[in-house]
Amino acid sequence: MMTLAPNLCFRTIPTKCITVKQQKDPPHQLNSVIPTKPKPCECFDLHKELIPYGKAWSWQKQIVKQKQALIQEHEDCPDSLIILQHNPVYTMGTGSSEKFLNFDMKEAPFDVYRTERGGEVTFHGPGQLVMYPIINLRNHKMDLHWYLRKLEELVIRVLQSSFSIKASRIEGLTGVWFGNQKLAAIGVRVSKWITYHGLALNVTTDLTPFSWIVPCGLQDRQVGSIRGLLQEFQSSTRCSEAVKPISDDDELIDISYKSLIKEFSEVFNLEIHQKTFDFVEDH
Amino acid sequence: MASTMLWASRAASYLRISVFHRGFSTVLKDLKYADSHEWVKVSGNAATIGITDHAQDHLGDVVYVELPEVGAAVKQGDSFGAVESVKATSDVNSPVSGKVIEVNEELSNSPALVNSSPYENGWIIKVEMNDSGDLKNLMDSEEYSKFCEEEDSKH
Repeated sequence: MMTLAPNLCFRTIPTKCITVKQQKDPPHQLNSVIPTKPKPCECFDLHKELIPYGKAWSWQKQIVKQKQALIQEHEDCPDSLIILQHNPVYTMGTGSSEKFLNFDMKEAPFDVYRTERGGEVTFHGPGQLVMYPIINLRNHKMDLHWYLRKLEELVIRVLQSSFSIKASRIEGLTGVWFGNQKLAAIGVRVSKWITYHGLALNVTTDLTPFSWIVPCGLQDRQVGSIRGLLQEFQSSTRCSEAVKPISDDDELIDISYKSLIKEFSEVFNLEIHQKTFDFVEDH
Repeated sequence: MASTMLWASRAASYLRISVFHRGFSTVLKDLKYADSHEWVKVSGNAATIGITDHAQDHLGDVVYVELPEVGAAVKQGDSFGAVESVKATSDVNSPVSGKVIEVNEELSNSPALVNSSPYENGWIIKVEMNDSGDLKNLMDSEEYSKFCEEEDSKH
């Protein structure tokens, strides 16, 4: 795991570490005190692959349908996780407005998908790790806000533990931030308590395509990446001999992937079982 | 006459609203409820559908409501639309089967009506039922209140 040497060497941008108001909990909540055995979660690791958005989207819906059928038959419904990269694509959420696209739909630089997730327009592309947890909130907490805060928590932990980046939440703006830069975007769909869509973390993403949209509909905010921040930190430090050189892109992706899986399993108390999925077999 | 009217109005106000001891959500007595937190108000063959106070409270501020087309078929237990809040969009399921005869267009401009008035101005669709037997599968207000309490206490 790569960590930046002397934190004291770079200027930290003050971050607002505002915790989101928690939902009111019922008074009796014993099960949060007693640690429970982690439940199994199958993981489809495609983190080194560039998967077309449409394929991944169909795949998610397929898995959601399977899980709903299992629940209908009162069978066990284990959780699933897909982690991958996408070819360049823009995606919009249910209530998304086309006014946040700085181009005509007919002349879009990349494909644009209107999906059923929450949130406004965003970009997915190489260098960005996308996680699609397809989990049964009945196994966890039937609370959407809790789920979103947990997704944020896992990314914050990844950034801290692997890169010493002190990222935070901004109340009212779901996602993970470093100062005014959004490092991870989140948008989910829940159908009968099964989640899909998820989060996207910019690791080594080329951020240029974000400038052709108003990301997440936020005019006065920016988008950042892990590599971008590490480069900033390195260039602003005076004791550069003490700072390790930034790893190459592949290594950054790999470190981020391993950390995302680790924090995901801890935050959701799941035991990861790696599984293979062959797209050739898909319909 | 006067005493009958007085009794009637007292009974009416009792029947209309019942706030249970948890004090968090309102449950109306003359509605039927699905376990996915939708309510239905039946009038003849027409059913008005929305999401409950408990549901809107858990969702938080609704920023978008996805409505079906008038004329679309709906099936009991299946999704007909969605509500979005804070980057999370969730299905709204129909408590009855039938055909959509009206949708609440107001929600396109004011999705927050779902929060402020879940049982009145925040109604979502009206359905012409094709099987009033569907109602038997739903909960009444007391069963629904109990259901909410049990669901909340599990977490």
